[in-house]
Amino acid sequence: MPPHPKLYIPLSEKKDTGISALALLPRSHLQQIMVKISVLQHATSSHLPLRPGDPTPTSRNLDPLMHPFARPRERTRALNAAKLDRIFAKPFVDSLEGHVDAVEVMCKKPDSLSLVASGSWDGGLIVHDLGRRKKVSSVPRSHKGKVSGLCFTGSGQEGRLLTCGVDRTVKLWDMNEANDVEAGPSTGRKPLKIFEGKSAFNSIDHHRTEPLFATASNLVQIWDETKSAPVSNLTFPTSVETITSVRFNLSESSILASTGSDRTFTLYDIRTGKAERRVVMNMRANALAWCPTFPTSLLLASEDHNLYTFDIRSLASPTQIYKGHVAAVMSCDWSGTGTEFVSGGWDRTVRIWNKDVGSRPEVYHTKRMQRVSSTLFTADARFVLSGSDDGNLRIWKARAAEKLGIVTARERAAMEYRESLKKRWAVDATVGKVLRKRHLPKPVHQASNLKRTMLDARRVKEERRRAHTRSGENKPKAERKKVVVVEQT
Amino acid sequence: MDSLIAQADALRPLSKRRKIIREGPVKGQKKAKTPAQDETSNSVAQHTSLPKSLRALDPSPEDVPKHAHITNPKLRSHLTRQSTQAVRSKVLLKDAELLLTEDAGKMEVEGEMDRTWRIDQAEIAKSAGQEAAQGRREWKLESGPYKSRYSKNGRHLAIVGKTGHVATFDWKTGTLHTELQLQETCRDITFFQDQSHFAVAQNKYIYIYDRDGVELHCLKSHIEPTRLEFLPYHWLLASVGNAGYLKYQDTSTGQLLVEHRTKFGTCNAMAQNRHNAVIHLGHQNGSVTLWTPNLPHAAVQLLAHLGPVVSVSVDPSSGGRYMSTAGQDGTVKIWDCRNWKGSVREWSARGGSGEVEWSAKGSLAVASGGTVNVYTAPTIHETFTAKAPPPLYLTHPVPHRPLVSLRFCPFQDILTIGHSGGLSSILVPGSGEPNFDSSEADPFENKKARREREVRGLLEKIQPDMIALDPEFVGSLAPPSKLTTAVNDTHNTPFARLPRLEKLRVQGKADETEVGKEDGGEGDDSGKKEDREVREKRKMRGKGKSMKRYLRKQRKNVVDPTAVAVRAKLEKQKEERRATKAAANGGGDGKKASALDRFKRSKA
Repeated sequence: MPPHPKLYIPLSEKKDTGISALALLPRSHLQQIMVKISVLQHATSSHLPLRPGDPTPTSRNLDPLMHPFARPRERTRALNAAKLDRIFAKPFVDSLEGHVDAVEVMCKKPDSLSLVASGSWDGGLIVHDLGRRKKVSSVPRSHKGKVSGLCFTGSGQEGRLLTCGVDRTVKLWDMNEANDVEAGPSTGRKPLKIFEGKSAFNSIDHHRTEPLFATASNLVQIWDETKSAPVSNLTFPTSVETITSVRFNLSESSILASTGSDRTFTLYDIRTGKAERRVVMNMRANALAWCPTFPTSLLLASEDHNLYTFDIRSLASPTQIYKGHVAAVMSCDWSGTGTEFVSGGWDRTVRIWNKDVGSRPEVYHTKRMQRVSSTLFTADARFVLSGSDDGNLRIWKARAAEKLGIVTARERAAMEYRESLKKRWAVDATVGKVLRKRHLPKPVHQASNLKRTMLDARRVKEERRRAHTRSGENKPKAERKKVVVVEQT
Repeated sequence: MDSLIAQADALRPLSKRRKIIREGPVKGQKKAKTPAQDETSNSVAQHTSLPKSLRALDPSPEDVPKHAHITNPKLRSHLTRQSTQAVRSKVLLKDAELLLTEDAGKMEVEGEMDRTWRIDQAEIAKSAGQEAAQGRREWKLESGPYKSRYSKNGRHLAIVGKTGHVATFDWKTGTLHTELQLQETCRDITFFQDQSHFAVAQNKYIYIYDRDGVELHCLKSHIEPTRLEFLPYHWLLASVGNAGYLKYQDTSTGQLLVEHRTKFGTCNAMAQNRHNAVIHLGHQNGSVTLWTPNLPHAAVQLLAHLGPVVSVSVDPSSGGRYMSTAGQDGTVKIWDCRNWKGSVREWSARGGSGEVEWSAKGSLAVASGGTVNVYTAPTIHETFTAKAPPPLYLTHPVPHRPLVSLRFCPFQDILTIGHSGGLSSILVPGSGEPNFDSSEADPFENKKARREREVRGLLEKIQPDMIALDPEFVGSLAPPSKLTTAVNDTHNTPFARLPRLEKLRVQGKADETEVGKEDGGEGDDSGKKEDREVREKRKMRGKGKSMKRYLRKQRKNVVDPTAVAVRAKLEKQKEERRATKAAANGGGDGKKASALDRFKRSKA
């Protein structure tokens, strides 16, 4: 094909962009070579800021060859993120003092973010403001003996508090701040009303909408706020137990559940006025909490160091077992999101659990915190409260490494990126180790070691026993099936 | 109570209903309620739509690896989700290519008989744009053959003359950072992470200077260095010297990381693979070795040339897949780094070969004699048995011999040749990567961006022991091991590594192993069993060990499910091995063919 001149139209009509003009080059000394030449040239106008002060434009090329070592670098980033997470893990916010004796119970005001009431073993009663970290009002000796139960009445009445005690009374208090001058001990404060019972009360809970409340003694009693005698008595026919705690369901508010000292928990309906179902377990439950988002989910804090969630549609086995405490779990509370919950136990630790993960909870402890008898998630799900035997009420962050205060958009984006990195690389041995490792106080650590040894020994013994029985006679039982002894209706 | 249950059912029905003891009427009630729950969800569905970010991107891609061997269902689904996302993002990456703003340079001829190599630099420079034409330069310098090195973003150039003239400058604006007359032999120079520091291989030691030419460090542990390489993501300075030691210095902590004795004497050829940070060395005896800091010996060693290796280079455009070497014997060879059996292509360069260098887009420059020849992909990689060079793309004669260094400028179509008369840079259209990524290297970055990048680079520094031939091993799954006795994750060690007691336990009883040794075929099981019992009876008679026999019988009753499972697994593996062996021997039934087989009676 003889070379002939040809007119080329440039591919793009860009004026000052990178690629130089295509050229037609006649060569004189040889035969005519028609050649297209374009030499790479970066347009400075598109890569430099137009005016001084403008941000420098950036360009991206996602070709993997342009990003060598993408995976090792991402892993390094993930490792750094995990380490930063541990470095910044300072969960303790504050300790609220004021009780003379151990804090027994706490409750939060349903419609308030900051008001929390706590009652102690000496009968002291304090309403705290978490935001200001101050006492709002207090009653030094509200009951003879310990305050065993607390609850705010419905959101309509301002600042009314119901307390029950082992002195066989339930008292209704008006704890408004306005009546109290700068949190001084209001010795003169008298209860609005006193309800007399026949035996010591262990727990109290208020109905969500109606002016009703339930108390737990040797039976569950429903009271009307306006009447001095119980409206109805609820008890399972064959029960001779002491009821330790009682809670109304949050969604179907006529349902209530109770735990008893004879290793049972029972479901009641106040409309039918009787106990609907009862489950006997291996060990007794110390506290219970209804899930705020999923109506049939019930959380139990058990004496056998575990927590259990039950779906009350199938009570034959728990939906999840949460293992981690090394002593009896004394209290539990759901976060408002329904995805997390907090528990406090006899082992002097507060633990925060993910609903779906049955092990490796976040662990909080301090040197001075003694046995934790009550725990609460705050309503915004950002903080956790613990009341312990040393008489203090402690405020913890729900996420240990969270930054309090204003977070800028870039900071937020960086934090989210770090979160996703951690999630992605958690399976990596080194990153996972950094993420999982929690320092525990020596007694707790030793107790968990001892516990593991004991459980292993038990398991080995069981295996040996199974090996020496006729094959098929002794089948291994799933851990979940072992929890419930019998389910009664 | 029932209303509560109905509420929960509307939210999330119990998938697997366990048996609940209830009275009849309750059950009936339940059944009546199930359609109501569907109604609820139907009524909700019309007014509900998931946000786009939460919606499944269907159809899910085809070639997602199924992690079938992983027993834990949670982990398995997690991994599947991850690999699905990876596959998807790979597809999306292709779409992102549309967004690249700049096109690569090129040089194409029209006529069939025309050749691109006939076009000389003057014409290319004439037809190039004004800025691009700046790349064609000649630096006439006195002090000996020059070596050069570009910074990572291609903006800055460091040059060193044999007799000690060192200079670093921004070649685009012509700003000189520093100029030093070191008055001693200098053999190589390299920038560190950016233009702010550089290292010079001087007569005795390596010296580190900052941008203004202030001597910061003298690395006395690197003696008589000949070549330097800086691994930017690991912050390592690698050097090799006349004594043949490859030394790694961590430039972020300052410690000498490791020194490898190559045992090959003086080494004058060194290159790094930019995709896995492996150092390639070419030695005097013609062998090429690949090194990582964590191996005390070479990861790969091959005899590349009959005579000293002059130069080594690794192709960055193919992810470090190809290596080219040039020997004193005048041959240039292309190697496939995944398969070292012979070179992919080799040819002899006229006038003896010198330096070789790959560009970011896969152009190979070879300095031979007094010319520089440039070849382009893909013809370089194609296997070609004849020892002929690939079609020439561009050639450029340089009157000053020897040509000691070739460097392509990153993100430009520029090749800088170092020779005894100074340096000359020529335009090689299509050799440079047109689109840079600001997060990796930016030719237009300002001071703030440079500082930011330095800090980020330090934070993301990869630990040196992660250097391996395959950079993708980080974060990938370990392959499922075949020869383990793993049952319920209890035995993860191979059978051969188990302690004796464990082995015996897994095998069961001693008498069973005895049978295993003796047995030949598997046809008559019952007969063999009888045999054994008879034998055992005979053996035991008169020896007064009835207690032992009793104990053995007792032991036989112990059923350990793990041991049984492991035993079954071992048997299966044994059987498989036997089958493969039989298949390898050719015979279907696994018996060795004998010379006497011809006398066998045929079955028909």
